[in-house]
Amino acid sequence: MSNAPSAGDEPKGAYVFRLYLAGGAPNSVRAFANLYAICRKHFPGSHRIEVIDVLKEPLRALGEAILVTPTVVKLSPLPEQQIIGDLSEEEEVLRALGLPQKTNR
Amino acid sequence: MNDQKSAEVLEKISSGIEGFDDITCGGLPLGGTTLLTGTAGSGKTVLALQILVSAADHHGTPGIFVAFEENARRVAANGATFGWNMGMLEGKELFFVDACVRSDVVKSGAFDLTGLLAALEAKADEMGAKLIVFDAIDVLLGLLNDPAAECRELYRLHDWLTLHNLTGILTTKIEDGEPGISPRYGFMPFLADCTVLLSQRVAERMAVRAMRVLKYRGSPHVLNEVPFVIGPAGVEVGSSNGVHPEPQPFDEKVSTGVERLDAMLCGGIYRGTNVLITGSSGGGKSTLAGAFVEAACLRDERALFISFDENSRDIVRDLATMSIDLAPHLQSGLLRMEALRTEAVSSEEHFMHIKRMITQQHPRCVAVDPLSALARVGGGLAARSVAERLIYLCRNKGITVLFTSLLEGTDPHLETTTLHVSTISDSWIQISYALLDGERNRALSIIKSRGSKHSNQLRELIFSDTGITLADPYTAGGEVLMGTLRHEKENGVNLDRGNGK
Repeated sequence: MSNAPSAGDEPKGAYVFRLYLAGGAPNSVRAFANLYAICRKHFPGSHRIEVIDVLKEPLRALGEAILVTPTVVKLSPLPEQQIIGDLSEEEEVLRALGLPQKTNR
Repeated sequence: MNDQKSAEVLEKISSGIEGFDDITCGGLPLGGTTLLTGTAGSGKTVLALQILVSAADHHGTPGIFVAFEENARRVAANGATFGWNMGMLEGKELFFVDACVRSDVVKSGAFDLTGLLAALEAKADEMGAKLIVFDAIDVLLGLLNDPAAECRELYRLHDWLTLHNLTGILTTKIEDGEPGISPRYGFMPFLADCTVLLSQRVAERMAVRAMRVLKYRGSPHVLNEVPFVIGPAGVEVGSSNGVHPEPQPFDEKVSTGVERLDAMLCGGIYRGTNVLITGSSGGGKSTLAGAFVEAACLRDERALFISFDENSRDIVRDLATMSIDLAPHLQSGLLRMEALRTEAVSSEEHFMHIKRMITQQHPRCVAVDPLSALARVGGGLAARSVAERLIYLCRNKGITVLFTSLLEGTDPHLETTTLHVSTISDSWIQISYALLDGERNRALSIIKSRGSKHSNQLRELIFSDTGITLADPYTAGGEVLMGTLRHEKENGVNLDRGNGK
């Protein structure tokens, strides 16, 4: 996407996420907490999260084809990846981000 | 809010489709939710889009189309092929939301429609939208993959529509072969104010579309399944009979184009009624049909001649040999001839096509030759319904109609086995072959003529290069004389007269 947040603040190869939330809805709050936790654990010091409140910027969600909340889009590194839900299933998130998952058991 | 509304008279928003407004007694519930459900390819998207575009174009009601399955641009392009004003997308009357679920999306945990609804709310406010279509809502709900969550989100959507006083149209797919609503979305019809089931099935190799209003909260509606087609201008619904009032009967009589036949009918047939001509192949039904439209044109009335499986040019040429000259009327535009191919489409589509022509040309006289061709496509029951509706349509418009029907076999009452139209026809003329003394002659008789006296004689029908006529009746020993025998008798009478002098 052309309107990715400008790089510069974070080192090269950093993970950039855009998180679409619906105000203080419980699943939105959980999604933010979960994404924050995953980033701190897996990309310490090389990540950035841009939060968009769909209730405040509703038309933006339409333009960016956001159907449900919460939705997180991994903008960088490419390819882009969309994950919907409150990110409570960490395994799925890691798989979607192409990270080695925790071994079962 | 709901209680307040139900206490008032239910307000409706016209669908812009005459037949659809008929079966729903006025259209969609204003501020309510309408569910269109049906198998893949049953026409849900086209119907929803047509209602939305028509409301925007003809009533200035802005609307939003949310496409969950198809690419929004493709949906709009599809609408343009029907000649709908998709240019409104540039303005403020229409807005399309591309809401296709990305195939590579990953799910992790709980989510809901809050974001989408907030976005749509802002858009609806901005453009003053009153109508909103959620096309293939089942695709979005399927993402949840949890029946309880799907139900919850659908209620969220419904409440959102109600709260913002938006009229909603949801479409959902049901699996092939299931008789009704998929059990998975069994709650949907209860939630919707109006539910319409669209279906498509194959009868005698012909695809036939039909729709049925399953429920309409707080409103009467037509319970029966009604046929519909997706024609060149979109959905056309074959509205049920009896919805329109019967027109005033005319006292005026209209010529059949055959002077002596008019005399047998005491002046012709009443304007606005119909006459059925039955007979076996080669009996001269088409010739009588030609005489009828020619007579109309000579009275300066617009006429429509619909034939099946015969080229119009051939018909004109054949009729010309009997001094029935249609060419000048075709040229002046008074007469329109349309040659249809029976097997090309279902009887329902033939009906819609004929209806369109009638609406465009406003003929005062119509000939359909032969109506029995309809019985060959799309199943007997469907064809009968089409024949009936054609008769009612013409009656309501005060159009005088001549139908022909091909008889198999010799028993005139066999006609009742093909289309059963003889029971609803106003007049019924039968052409048969009389075999007498080694000759086959055409014989014409009037079986019935409603509301009018008529001759009950069997008369010989004569076609010649000077036109059509009926011979004077000559009887001998209780038999009607025809052909050579009649000729001899005629001459004999003349001879007798000559001798007497």
